[in-house]
Amino acid sequence: MAQEHCVIIGNGPAANQAALTLRENSPDMLITLVGQEPFPHYRPHLLPDYISGKLSENDLYVSPTEFYKRSGIKVRLGQQVVNIDFCSRELALSHKEIISFDGLIIACGGRQRIPERMQVFEDLMLTLKTPADAAVWIDRLTQVDSVLIVGGDLTSLSLTKALLSLKKRVFFMLNEDSFWPVPLGTEVAQQVRLRLMEKGVEVLESGRIRRVARISDVRLEVETDWETFKVGILGVFYGMVPDVKFLARSGLDIDRGILVDEHLRTRFDLVYAAGDCAQVYHPGIKDYWVSIGYENAISLGKVAALNLLGGMYAVETAPSSIFTVDGIVVNTSWWLEF
Amino acid sequence: MPKVDVTVEVCGMAGDGTIAAGGLINEALSEGGFSVLGFDSYPAEIRGFGRCVTHSRIGNNEVVALGDVTHVLISLDDEQSRSRVPFLSENSIVIFDSSPAAYVREDSSIAGEVEPGTLLFGMPLSDLATAASGTERGRNLTALGGFTAICGIPSELFHRVIKRRFKAKGEKVLLANLNSFDAGVTYATQNFSERIRNIFIPPGQPHGHENVLLSGNQAIGKAALDAGLKLYFGYPITPATPIMEYLASRLPDRGGRVVQMEDEISSIGAVLGSFYAGVRAMTATSGPGFALMTELITHGVMAEIPAVIIDAQRGGPSTGLPTKTEQSDLHAAVFGGPGDSARIVIAPTNVSECYRYTVKSFQLAEKYQTPVIILTDFYLDNRVENFPIPQAVESEIENSNIFPRSSVKGSYNRYSVTESGISPRALPGMEGFIFAATGLEHTEKGTPDYSPEVHTMMSAKRHRKILGALADMPAPEEFSSGNIMDVGVIGWGSTFGSVLEAVNMARGRGMNVGALKITSIFPFHLDVIREFMNRCSHCLVPELNFEGQLANLIGHLHTKDVVRLNRVTGMPFPPSAILAKIEDLIQTGDE
Repeated sequence: MAQEHCVIIGNGPAANQAALTLRENSPDMLITLVGQEPFPHYRPHLLPDYISGKLSENDLYVSPTEFYKRSGIKVRLGQQVVNIDFCSRELALSHKEIISFDGLIIACGGRQRIPERMQVFEDLMLTLKTPADAAVWIDRLTQVDSVLIVGGDLTSLSLTKALLSLKKRVFFMLNEDSFWPVPLGTEVAQQVRLRLMEKGVEVLESGRIRRVARISDVRLEVETDWETFKVGILGVFYGMVPDVKFLARSGLDIDRGILVDEHLRTRFDLVYAAGDCAQVYHPGIKDYWVSIGYENAISLGKVAALNLLGGMYAVETAPSSIFTVDGIVVNTSWWLEF
Repeated sequence: MPKVDVTVEVCGMAGDGTIAAGGLINEALSEGGFSVLGFDSYPAEIRGFGRCVTHSRIGNNEVVALGDVTHVLISLDDEQSRSRVPFLSENSIVIFDSSPAAYVREDSSIAGEVEPGTLLFGMPLSDLATAASGTERGRNLTALGGFTAICGIPSELFHRVIKRRFKAKGEKVLLANLNSFDAGVTYATQNFSERIRNIFIPPGQPHGHENVLLSGNQAIGKAALDAGLKLYFGYPITPATPIMEYLASRLPDRGGRVVQMEDEISSIGAVLGSFYAGVRAMTATSGPGFALMTELITHGVMAEIPAVIIDAQRGGPSTGLPTKTEQSDLHAAVFGGPGDSARIVIAPTNVSECYRYTVKSFQLAEKYQTPVIILTDFYLDNRVENFPIPQAVESEIENSNIFPRSSVKGSYNRYSVTESGISPRALPGMEGFIFAATGLEHTEKGTPDYSPEVHTMMSAKRHRKILGALADMPAPEEFSSGNIMDVGVIGWGSTFGSVLEAVNMARGRGMNVGALKITSIFPFHLDVIREFMNRCSHCLVPELNFEGQLANLIGHLHTKDVVRLNRVTGMPFPPSAILAKIEDLIQTGDE
């Protein structure tokens, strides 16, 4: 692969780790990162602390732009891949630019999962994935005193903590099946509820959102299965889904994510997928699984890069990455359900 | 109020409407209350190919120079705009056409050139313009619409200037342009709403006085009109032609005439003839044309006939670089021509001074009966600035001829030797006087005489007169704390803005530096300049020429060699280059 061009689609932890690994092991390779978001590589799990003012925007970013220059990694931010032709080994960007590649690592991550029944209220809800989302939260929070968090995932728990530190009144509607993608057992869900209540969060009866209406610039009316009440912001958190719609007609095998073997290979030669967008085959259980979490993504990015360079590494499938949120132990290293 | 200091560039191929777009930015933001300095660079060829770039620096404090970096780049042609990428600041904004006519290979799009951190805003400019107005010709306006929305500028500012610009072209054209612009605003608002808040440019406060946005050439034209110009003679040449164009559309309404002559020699001849007859006239040219004029300019010196000549410098020698800026005619302006032919040379440093000193030049020419040369350059001629509407000083507009007293009728000597060197001048038609004008050396009466005594006496008289004019000429201006300085920077012409900015930056960093602005190039204020120089450990003279022409003129006044900083890149002097030299001199003392 020396002197050849590897394109990495994505600018998250898997993509950046892949780029770094390629550079370390192949000093002459041309490496291009194509990120759809306009932001440099950031740590999404720090966004709640940015919202609370504990961190500055610069604290979110992992590497200064100078790092990429120094490393000879070309970074294209705010650029969207709209098509890939694996025969001619070219990809097309939305602004009608064609890029040739010899090797390709797809690490385009995920997008916010909004359940279909909630999509009708999309313009009345906030989510949190990018620094731009965080900026909207910061702006809105100056105008309101209460927030309803619905759904619930790891980000939402951190955000709740941030909102409490800002002295906001926080309502939380947690459903056992909505701590997506991790299936939340009854016991853990109860622990989460108790912990939230201890922090001063008003935990609502689990149920569905039936109706949302804007009643003023700073007020929403939310109707649930059980009650109707007014709140400043409605935040919904149902986890992430692989962002692979643009690959639908590319010829890649796609289920929910890009199907790859345990070496992260797709069906095309020298084309790999890593991170949240990949569905990885587990030979032991003979099924596909998906990884979440920053550290896991880094690990997958490294494996994809090493294998692209000729290695034959298999991804770690043991549940090694267990972490806690406010003392609640959560295993997120792999799971089977979407 | 947060500090606004933003440089916007529009870049495209000739024919893309680049210059028009840049002009609209300047006008709109000037009306928005900002201080604006705009400059266009374009190819020498008439139309159809070549890179056009407009540079607009916008601030809420006075802008005195073009910036070193670009904060917003509007690309109308990526192939051309890629050359501007190295000048982009960190976190700059690039607006580009995301829907070109055909797919392009890797790195032909500007999107492949920019550094990470650059905010890319791809807009389907041609598609939007065509949908809005039926033609893609308005894609430059669509890009402006995007710029307006992305940077948080009120659309009304642009609506107003678009209406003014296109009103005369009829309702259909006006509507097409407004629709194209609005399509850009709508697209950007709908697609980029989450990305625009950090790059908002707040509108400036009203100036508190009425401002005018003029180019250096327009300011010269306006000044000439206000000074009572009756006749303009000229031959087209870049970058002076806009002066003739400006006057051609206005001077006839004031009872004057613009005459395109067969060449520059006849132009200066006609100007001398007009002044000889007591009528204010002017010509404007550039280096090659100025070279042709030199013999007749010295005729004006010898015959003591007023003339006003604009030398709009461009890259030289010879035909040189027609659309590039340079300050390399100083020697020609001061010394060009045969014999000891001292004449007045003034170099304005900004657009406002183009107005002031053009008005002044008519007074000086008449009072001192001599050609007056205004030295501008491509950058100053073409750059636009906004400043309070200028008012000519009454005494400078008035006829400044010094006529002989009626008591000397019969004994009148046209070239009488006086203490000031000024000989009262009778105009043809004045009853009782004899009129003389000769390029031969002459006696006080004006009759030819080549004797050593007469030539010595008359040479002294003419030089005494010119040196005496210094009292009426603009004095150098110092920008410092007035004490001993580590580095003193002397600037002239269009470069002075960059000098001032560099010196201000250096002072902001705690350096002990100052600047001296020289507008009177000849004669010059020798004592003031020497006094300044001798308060500086190092005296730096940045110039856009290779030889260091001002340094050659004034260098001997310093007790040690002046430090020359010369560039002939065809572009204005970047303040950063001057700042770097200042720092270098302070840190190492290395000259």
